[in-house]
Amino acid sequence: MNRYLSNKKAIALFLLPALLIYSVIIIYPVLQTVYRSFFNWDGLSTATWNGISNYRDLLEDPLLITSLRNGLLFALVLAVFQIGLGTVLALACADPRIKGRKLLKTSYFIPVVLSVTVVCQLWIAMYDPANGLINRLFNLLHIPYQQNWLTSPTVSIIAIAFVNAWQFMGYQFSLLYAGVKSIPEQYMEAATIDGCSKWMAHRKVTIPLMKETYKFCLIVAITSGIGAFVQMLIMTSGGPGTSNYTLTYMIYRYAFMESNYGYACAVSVVLVSLSLLATVIINKTFDRNEA
Amino acid sequence: MKRKYMKALSVLAALSLTISLTACGGKNSDNSASSGNSGGASDGTKKIQIKVYAQHFDEDTAKPFDYAVEELKKEMPNVEIVLDEAVQDGYQKLKTYAATGNMPDIYETDWTTLQTFAKSKNVELLDSYPETADFKSKLNTGLESRLTAPDGHVYAFPYTGIEFQLIYYNKDIFQKAGIQTPIKTIDQLADAAKKLSAAGYTPMAIFAKEKWITTAFYAGLVTREDAKGFGDLEAGKPAALPTAFVTAAEQMKKLQEGGLFDANATNTNYDQASSQFYSGKAAMFVNGQWEIYSSTEKLGDKVDWMYWPAKDEATYDSSKGFINGAGSPGGFSVSPSSKNKETAVKVASFLAQKYSEYKYSVLGSPIVSVKVDKPMTGEVPPMMKRIADEVLPNVKSYATAVSNVQIKNVIDDNTQNMLVSGFTVKQFTDNVNRILAKENK
Repeated sequence: MNRYLSNKKAIALFLLPALLIYSVIIIYPVLQTVYRSFFNWDGLSTATWNGISNYRDLLEDPLLITSLRNGLLFALVLAVFQIGLGTVLALACADPRIKGRKLLKTSYFIPVVLSVTVVCQLWIAMYDPANGLINRLFNLLHIPYQQNWLTSPTVSIIAIAFVNAWQFMGYQFSLLYAGVKSIPEQYMEAATIDGCSKWMAHRKVTIPLMKETYKFCLIVAITSGIGAFVQMLIMTSGGPGTSNYTLTYMIYRYAFMESNYGYACAVSVVLVSLSLLATVIINKTFDRNEA
Repeated sequence: MKRKYMKALSVLAALSLTISLTACGGKNSDNSASSGNSGGASDGTKKIQIKVYAQHFDEDTAKPFDYAVEELKKEMPNVEIVLDEAVQDGYQKLKTYAATGNMPDIYETDWTTLQTFAKSKNVELLDSYPETADFKSKLNTGLESRLTAPDGHVYAFPYTGIEFQLIYYNKDIFQKAGIQTPIKTIDQLADAAKKLSAAGYTPMAIFAKEKWITTAFYAGLVTREDAKGFGDLEAGKPAALPTAFVTAAEQMKKLQEGGLFDANATNTNYDQASSQFYSGKAAMFVNGQWEIYSSTEKLGDKVDWMYWPAKDEATYDSSKGFINGAGSPGGFSVSPSSKNKETAVKVASFLAQKYSEYKYSVLGSPIVSVKVDKPMTGEVPPMMKRIADEVLPNVKSYATAVSNVQIKNVIDDNTQNMLVSGFTVKQFTDNVNRILAKENK
């Protein structure tokens, strides 16, 4: 017993530095953010108690609706594109009949290691309505569709989401590929012996067994979508107007452009709450299906 | 067991020591450059170091600063300027300095930030300093709003006068497209846009990725209808946009629908827009009067500026003297936490005056804050000469600025939206009215 306790002490002591650092850089700021969200504070002057006014104002803020809509749209594009295409590519790369799989796996991951700024600049050029590759490609293929990709208030958010989805698809692919490879080959062999086609075997065996991987991938996609920011900042500066705002962009605006830190803290609380809620819902949904 | 325990403690101690050392090492070494008495003059007396946070990144910003510093050496040899180059980050670095109690002695910022600093006591009130009275006596006519804030206090010594926006145009392109100048009305400008588009030119290049320029364009139209400009949205406490503002919005929309702006305007930055104009792809360009030097250098005598068009010729003539630039406080401010506050105030005033001197005498710009008794030595571009001869002597009034950040931002957002097809004047007025109703309660 004594030995066990002293081991516990040793373990605690080993954990303490990390816990201290974590408390200082994560827990304390989070608690401060929640606390500050009830104040009227410009970041410099003495904060004045504001009660729930910041949250009440937030409910009436039209930017909240825009940001939530954009966040969800962004998340949807990420989930569909990254997980959908990621699955197809993961299954393809796991198939021994496909030649050059190593090269393919590497090439899918290249965009992930590129700088976000570089990728955004590249796509800005490609999205240019007059000289961009995409509109020119449509012209070349005689598709009668020309679009102001980054200046249309409705299309631009999807266009930006696609850039993010394209860049980080490799990350989701690597998770999904690991998931595919973790399934014992005997299962697939058994399914094939039972007369399943390749597609049927994947549908009935591979994909259901990758539930945990999908759960994680979906959480990553949804939380990344809700909190997206950098691509909007670089590609459109949130415009035209506020059409590309997300919750994180709102925080940036209220904190750094308007020095309204109390209100920005309230938006931060909403953002974190939504991310947590999304995570809980996804977990519950997957776990219920498990049962 | 004891040994294990001691081992764990040793690891902990080592870790703690490492972290604390890292923290010490990470401390800003810049502190050595903050104000204080250090270094020695050649005569053995101690020099007063004054840290100045100022823009110093191109010819326009570096040359006046360097000139002012050289002049300061003659005037105050016991003062040494330590430059902290300002970054274009919306004054975030400066706000971080303020939040960490590490303000430079003198800094340059805008009115929005000054308001925050005034509330948090990060800016010295200059009202009762003798330097302020002296500065006031030298101030050019009509520039009181550049020195004295709406609340009656003096927060900064300005070096420029009230700057304003112009429509630049390429005379050669206008001639080729058969466009008569001067363009006096909105209809004439819309018609010119059609002709220019038909001739294969972008009628007007505008770097509308930056929202302030769309606001400036709108301000140009507003001032033709209401001499006071945006200030009226605050002073009169209207709960909805006055008629002049709605008229200007309708005019802006008409011009957008007439094809004045490029479809990609809201995603065009300054470099792209200016290169369109300077390469002869765009016939017009909108920017402040400071663009005169670059445009003269790039296009020579092919470029000129025009007055803002109005709803009709009568309004065009009667409102020529209403300048769309709005004076708001800005320039060199002093930190209350400066160890050499008295000296810093003297230096801030001196630097602002010498900046003006350089801009007037070397660059030939008459848009400076104080009277300069030195003659113009530099070659004055013809466009600037026009401003000096035609505009400044005939100024009837300058527009007034809007201080409320929410009102300012909603105008910024929605003037940018006005450049987007499908965004209506009603949406514009509804969006702005919602904020006006809230802020002007």
